[in-house]
Amino acid sequence: MISFELSDQQQQIKEMTHWFAENEIRPIAMEADKQEKVPDDWLDKVNKMGIHLNTSSFSGGGDKDSSGKKAKKEREGNRMGVLATEEMAWGDPAVTLSLPGAGLGGPPVESSGTPEQKERFLSIFKNDEPRWGAYALTEPDAGSDASAIRTTATKVDGGYILNGQKIFITNGACASWVVVFATVDASLGRSGQRAFVVEKGATGFSCSRLAEKMGLRANETAELVFEDCFVPQENLLGGEALYETSGSKPSGFQVAMKTFDSTRPIVAAMAIGIARAAYEYTLDIVKHDYPKQGDFFRMASELLGECEQDIAAARLLTWEAAWKADLGLANAKEAAMCKAHAGKTGLDICAKCLELLGPTGLDGHLVEKLYRDVKVFDIFEGTNEIQHLVIARRQYAPHGIRV
Amino acid sequence: MISFQPTEEETSFIKVAKDFAKNRIRPAARTCEKQRAVDQKLGDEAAELGFLSLELPEDWEGLELPLLTQVQLMQALSYGDLDIIQGLQGAGDAASFFRLLRDNPVFKDKMVDLTSGATTVLIDLENNDELSENQLSLRHDHDGYILQGLSQPVRMASFADYALVAGKDSQGKNVIIWLDDSADWMVHQGDYRLGLVASGLGRFSFENVKVPLTHVLVEGTAADDILREARNRIRLLQAAKETGLMEAALDSATEYTAERKAFGREIAAFQGVSFRVASMAIETRIANHLVLEAAVKADNREPSAERLSLRALHRAHRSLRYVTDSAVQLLGGHGFVRDFPVEKWMRDAQAQVMLYGRENDLLVRSGEQLITGEEEVSVT
Repeated sequence: MISFELSDQQQQIKEMTHWFAENEIRPIAMEADKQEKVPDDWLDKVNKMGIHLNTSSFSGGGDKDSSGKKAKKEREGNRMGVLATEEMAWGDPAVTLSLPGAGLGGPPVESSGTPEQKERFLSIFKNDEPRWGAYALTEPDAGSDASAIRTTATKVDGGYILNGQKIFITNGACASWVVVFATVDASLGRSGQRAFVVEKGATGFSCSRLAEKMGLRANETAELVFEDCFVPQENLLGGEALYETSGSKPSGFQVAMKTFDSTRPIVAAMAIGIARAAYEYTLDIVKHDYPKQGDFFRMASELLGECEQDIAAARLLTWEAAWKADLGLANAKEAAMCKAHAGKTGLDICAKCLELLGPTGLDGHLVEKLYRDVKVFDIFEGTNEIQHLVIARRQYAPHGIRV
Repeated sequence: MISFQPTEEETSFIKVAKDFAKNRIRPAARTCEKQRAVDQKLGDEAAELGFLSLELPEDWEGLELPLLTQVQLMQALSYGDLDIIQGLQGAGDAASFFRLLRDNPVFKDKMVDLTSGATTVLIDLENNDELSENQLSLRHDHDGYILQGLSQPVRMASFADYALVAGKDSQGKNVIIWLDDSADWMVHQGDYRLGLVASGLGRFSFENVKVPLTHVLVEGTAADDILREARNRIRLLQAAKETGLMEAALDSATEYTAERKAFGREIAAFQGVSFRVASMAIETRIANHLVLEAAVKADNREPSAERLSLRALHRAHRSLRYVTDSAVQLLGGHGFVRDFPVEKWMRDAQAQVMLYGRENDLLVRSGEQLITGEEEVSVT
């Protein structure tokens, strides 16, 4: 039955994450942006509280739980994931992305890793000290066209040697391990790609620079360099078997793409959280400071009406994508739809809120920060244009046309 | 639990509706437009399948379905042709009032029987044109009301057996009245060419018609509640019809651009084309979801139902204009000629959004409620 009511568990996680966002994240948002860093003692504190950016449950559908047993209840991890992420990003997106945990590196390990790899890489996120995982796909000359990556992986005794450069890597420098995509033979295109887990401290692996950005300044964005970096065989994600059994299919590339179906709804949910934060902040000011009639009131009604509508629209699209993933249904089209809409309207909403605040909005208001933060949500995890391409491909698939 | 899965019963009924839309409604669209009325046989079939009594109460031989089910069915039916759906005779938009006023003594006293296929037209004074000097007005008289003036164009006017007039009287009090004597009004047939031509568009004209209290269904604060709820339901049923038309236009444009070749390849291969189709798909999905969510709220009679119905209809209007225009655009010159249905759908879409509430007004009203009332962005 069609329903938009949260289950008890969903309601609980929404309330819990909202409480955390309101009382722990939002209070440090503006200062963290100024310092371009989330304070270490804060990270240590929340890590001890057991708060992680845990994406390991957002790994697509299926009727089995992580222990492999037949699940008795309907799986709802993806829906809980988007609910929680919206609340956290409402507190602050840069701080949220900096929370300890596997981050965007979690889904590929969860979906493609061997049981031994899952245990080894996903069990390190403990309360003793904050740790991070990361995901490295983009290169200076390969962004939207992920099949064009040039980082090489050369097979040697006991493993592979990586050479290349990765950019725009969230938490890339502080991460304990990074899922890195590289090619064993560039002429093979997608089918030559492999995914590796490169551990911090590996010889030849370094961070060359931290990017200075328009927004999300408190969150680390790294450039990573691999110079004759040896990666042991056991760190080839999924093991050789994964790539052998896939036949002619571009398996390494598929690891990267499959990840998007579960991470795009999460990224969309973050954009929604940001937009909602800007909207609620502005609504509060309008309620208190604006006249209750006349031109300004009409303008505010129109702009806020549009903001609220687009937030609801983006949220419903995101819930649908997460719901499909929970049921194990193909959701690439829905994941692209929610990401495309949330990313684009997130910025529109922040801009409308700034318009309502007027010049005062330039001076120390949360919304200008959110405006800077939200722009990248229409870019990373696939630009708006790439989302349109994904949607179009699914739309034309029944007609036998590949666009 | 969040779910987008219709029930099994809904899925079965939707399939019947979609099949009827594709196999019976769609092929009849051009003929009905030419005849400026829906083919009687087609109307009888729709009635037989129960599609004309979804909203009517069970004790009036209706199906009295939840709004959530109805919006899905209306979407499926309108996939065939919106003009035909709007021209199907029967209770029309007045059905929501019948549902809410089923036990009203006026209906009982007058032995109103709508099961024989009689057509009722709703004249909602909310749609009055304030710029018109002779706009329809309802003036309180000591033992009833006086109706005077010319209504806005409404659908099914040409086929009206009964009329239900609802809205504020000259003193600002809400009133809902029942007119069962066609001698009370004249219908101006007018000159309608844009769209929804088969839906019997016309204006009602009243010359100081005295309406006795025996024809007053409800007035005052009791009428406020009925009007609010009925309008919420009508907005959502109309928005659902609009999503059905959007879906038709999206599918048609996808199919055409997948086959049509230019510069040696299918035009879908050009991103200017395929990205627009993707945007149409997103807008169609959004309009659909906003209608579904609002329908759930309306079924539960939640306080946010009114705002969500305003929101859903606003988005449906906006998206409908975009999607139907895009379909014509993507077909190029073929979109402009009558060989393909998209030109008709674009005309019907524009007529539809003009009949059911000004887009900007719907938006501003939903925004006003946010500032003066609810704070949280809805959905839950």
